[in-house]
Amino acid sequence: MKLKWAILFTAFLLAIAAPQAGAQTERTLAGEWIMVSSPINGENFSRLGNSLGFPDRDMVFTQEGGLRNGVVLREDVGANVRPLGSWRVMGNRFSAAFQLWCPVADGACGSVIMRGQFLSDTTVKGTMTVFFDQPDEGRPTGYDTWVFSFRGSRKAEGSN
Amino acid sequence: MRGRIHQLIRSAAAVMLLLLLVGINVQAGGKNFEGRWLLTITIPESPTSNSKRTITVTVEASPRGDSLNGRLTATDDNNRTVSGAWRQVGKQVSITYELPCADDGSTACGSLVMLGKVKGEFVKKGKVIVMWDTQSDTNPALYDTANGSFNGERLP
Repeated sequence: MKLKWAILFTAFLLAIAAPQAGAQTERTLAGEWIMVSSPINGENFSRLGNSLGFPDRDMVFTQEGGLRNGVVLREDVGANVRPLGSWRVMGNRFSAAFQLWCPVADGACGSVIMRGQFLSDTTVKGTMTVFFDQPDEGRPTGYDTWVFSFRGSRKAEGSN
Repeated sequence: MRGRIHQLIRSAAAVMLLLLLVGINVQAGGKNFEGRWLLTITIPESPTSNSKRTITVTVEASPRGDSLNGRLTATDDNNRTVSGAWRQVGKQVSITYELPCADDGSTACGSLVMLGKVKGEFVKKGKVIVMWDTQSDTNPALYDTANGSFNGERLP
């Protein structure tokens, strides 16, 4: 009888301990990532002809308390080209919102929403939606919209 | 006599230059989004609702310095603070941030893209794009989207 109660008590302890172990392994984007992008259904441009191209993006995500910031290191374009954004994680999924970097005032500019999921702690995949500032009444938002996909790998600490 | 006239002209030119500089600074400060703002944002309750919800957030927009983008923090009525980013060309300002998600899932969550014009101490008739967290096979954004509006008032 005592053995039965001991087994039940142990099972109870294991049951209440399990969620805590899960919480400790919550995903985070914090760190440096290389995001490799590619077109969806061969769409290299938006309906109005806007595009960001498909460069590999070196992205750094930080977290200080509740503040989650992101920056894209576009050293391929210029040393100081650093579009800024913010992010959040919901379980295995994440979202980030970035501003584009638009040095030409009369060129098309816009904002990017990243939506993705963790394949592991060091790999992600998802899509980026670009809302260009250019009006397009044919889109639900009223703005020119373009999507592409990405896969990301976390850079090992200390790597270049 | 001629020296006195020259001195008067130099003084007048200096005063005009000072007025111009002060004027330029006032104008630049009036258009710049940098600083503290109270934004009132109206968006649908959720991807499936026609009801609206109004969010009031206090935004602290950091200086951009030499950058084309700036950082910001947005604090809502529930005292939840999140990060965001902004850019500005002329009067046109764009703001992006992630809505804070309720732990209990009581409110739909998403990302905001906000476009408005800074006119002195106000942003009026700003437009909002909400991209919800729910995927959509029919929306070109691949997620449900909605439109909203916002206004802003500069805080001291």
